[in-house]
Formats: sequence, C-alpha cells, structure tokens
Amino acid sequence: MDPSLTEVLQFDEHQLRTRLAFFRIGEEELDRLAAMRPLMEEATAQIVSLFYEHLLSQPETRDFLDDPVLVDRLQAKQTAYFLQLFEGRVDLAYVENRFRVGAAHERLGVPPRWYIGAFDRYLGLVRERLIGRGVAGAELVADLAAVERIMHFDAALAIDAYVAGHLATHARNQAALRELASPVIRVHDRVLLLPLVGTIDSFRAQQVMESALLGVSEEQARVLILDIAGVAVVDTQVADHLLKTTAALRLLGAKTILTGISPQVARTIVELGVDLKTLHTRNKLSDGLELALSLVGREITDKERGS
Amino acid sequence: MTVLVSERLTIAVEGDVPVVRRRARELAQAAHFDAFASAAITTAASELSRNALVHGGGGYAVVEHVSDGLREGLRLVFVDEGPGILDIDRALRGGYSTGRSLGLGLSGSRRLVDEFHVETSLGKGTRVEVVKWARFRR
Repeated sequence: MDPSLTEVLQFDEHQLRTRLAFFRIGEEELDRLAAMRPLMEEATAQIVSLFYEHLLSQPETRDFLDDPVLVDRLQAKQTAYFLQLFEGRVDLAYVENRFRVGAAHERLGVPPRWYIGAFDRYLGLVRERLIGRGVAGAELVADLAAVERIMHFDAALAIDAYVAGHLATHARNQAALRELASPVIRVHDRVLLLPLVGTIDSFRAQQVMESALLGVSEEQARVLILDIAGVAVVDTQVADHLLKTTAALRLLGAKTILTGISPQVARTIVELGVDLKTLHTRNKLSDGLELALSLVGREITDKERGS
Repeated sequence: MTVLVSERLTIAVEGDVPVVRRRARELAQAAHFDAFASAAITTAASELSRNALVHGGGGYAVVEHVSDGLREGLRLVFVDEGPGILDIDRALRGGYSTGRSLGLGLSGSRRLVDEFHVETSLGKGTRVEVVKWARFRR
C-alpha cells in the first residue's frame, strides 16, 4: 500500500485547520453544506451527467474520455465525489481523498487548466440548482459562498497533488540522470573507468568525485581512468575538479589516468596555464588502458608472442 | 569594425555559463573559426562568464560576430556590478584567487584571445572585453 498523500505532503491536523481558516470554511459553512445535501442527492444524477456532457463536448477533454466503460466508471466516482462536498465534514480522510483524485488526474496527464475549468462547470451547475430552489437574498448568497469555498478548497488540494506529482517525476529523472552522468565501470581487476560527458558544472563535479571515490573504495581499485573525450569544454574549473578528484583518489591509494584529451583541449589547457603534471595523461583511452594495466602489473600481449 | 550579430545574455545562475559558451561556439562556427581557435574562444567565454558570476555576483555577456573587412571574429563583453578586482596586475599574472579555485581564469583567458581589455572599479564592477579573430585559411 502506498503511503498516504497526506503523509507525503506533510498535511496534518494543524495544516488542515490553517487551510480551512484561510478558505474561511467554518462550522457555519459546513452546516450549510450539510443542509443542502438532500437537495443535491436528488440532483446528483443530472448534475453529473450534465458535467460529463460538458467534458465530452470539448475536444481537449474528450480525448481523455474516449472509452465508454471508463466514462461509466468515472461517473460513479464523480457521484461519490460530488456528494462528499455536502457531508458537512472536512477531515484528513477528506483531504486524502481529494489528493488522490488530483494525483489520479495528474497521472492521466490531464492538465490543471482542464481540471480548473471543469470545477467551474460544476460550480455553475450547483449554482443553478440553488437559485432554482426558491431561496433568495442573504441565505442564497451565504449558501453559494459555502459551495464556492469548499470547491476552491478542493481545487487547491488538487493543485497540491499535481505539484507533488511533478516534483516526484522531476526527482526520479534527476536520480536517473545522476546514475547516467557518472557511471563507474570496472574494466579489469582493480582498474576502473569513468567516462565524462557533457557539461561539468560544480554539481556534476561533486558527483563525479563521489562516485569515483566510492567506486575505488568498493572495488579496491588501484587505477581510475577518467576519460574526458565527451566533455564540451575543459576550462580552469573542470581542470580544478580533475586535480581535486586526483588528489582525493591518491589518499585512497589509487592513481588517476586522464584520457580522451583532444589536440584542441591540450593546447587550451597549456594556454590557460593549468598544471596537470600530477596526473598521468594519455591521448587515447586505449593507451590509458595499457598504462593502467601496467600499473597493476599486467600487460596486453599478442597471442602469437604470448604462446 | 562591423557587427554582424549581437546578442546579450544574462549571467545569473551557474546554468547560464554553458549557455554563453554554447552561443560563443555557434558564432565561432559561423565566423569560420578552426577547431583550435573555436576551443580557445569557447573556453575564454566559459572562464569569463563564470568570473562575472562567481566574483561579480552575476551580470551579462554580449556575444558578437564581427568583421573588420578582412577577417571575421568574435567579440565578447562581460559586465558585472560586483566588488571589482582589487589587484588587477596580480589577477592578470595568474595563480591569484579570492575564491578557492586555481586563479587562472583571467590570465588564462588573456592568452587564449587576440585582444583583451579589462576595466575594473572597486565597488562598482568589472567589464572585460575580448576579441578573437579567425585565422586566414591556407
């Protein structure tokens, strides 16, 4: 069972009270909503079907509702949802329910604008009912205010769920990117390879250093090859990071070999005045690999010569 | 000097540095820079925009594709309203840093370009202008 969204979003009793106060929903409003329930129970079927008529009349929302079986199921859910507005009780279970509805729409890819627009249609239908009831003046105004407030309260919860959904997606992508960004590959016993690609900003540089250190420690590696063939620009900041990573790896007893240095990068580094003497450097990855193997007491030989 | 393309780019966050760099690389290609000259100006763009961000608290860059009638080139201007550089001679000699970096950004960039002008005023900010020309193709 998934953790409740009220937990995930840290929505507690205190939050609930604050939120209700902000939307000016108090005992009076809740009592009014409860008092409307018999009228709304009578009207539910019609309101829900008019609501779906609206959704199906708009091409953008119709696209989400192309399956009649789905529409039947949603209408049933919608009825329950609608009547809950007139329970006269808003507690954490109510909030959890609203969060789940918002999250479900977010997962389906229904943009918040359609969601908000649909709310407005709902509000309009309820308003018509209340006006048609024959109660006028201050009573009507107060009833309408109560309905508007609870619906806006609901919409705010839905938006919270949307934002939380997006943030969770973003966090997942970031995590995936982090793994993609600095993969430490074991190429031989105690020899690791870390190919760097793209832009090395300070955040990436930290990741690289950390995964290099963890990799070397876990694999008991003696040599780490840093291949920078895919790095866009090697400026003093990147060079500084390479030097720091090398120094940190040396503390773990591992040597660093820098490979993939293009002629242009070589010249730029020299012009910049950066001193990379503390690193073993090689033009090609294959040369770096040979050097790495010799550092761990191995060598690559031709088959004929070796036999 | 004729300006063929001129663009102003904001430098406010670290992510703006690669944007300036990428634009410099694109214009270097448009100006027919060879791979070495392109790497040099792109690296200088990276150094100087980061300087404006880290030491100057942000500012902007003007990236221009220029021509003097004979050759095409790139002119890059970096402006910040930071504290200014206290000892500009020392900063230009290299190995001097107020941060925790190598301190080679300014001196290194100077060697990577053909023309280099820096104006700095304590408490008011720094303006660095560099030009690099495409070499004649043999």
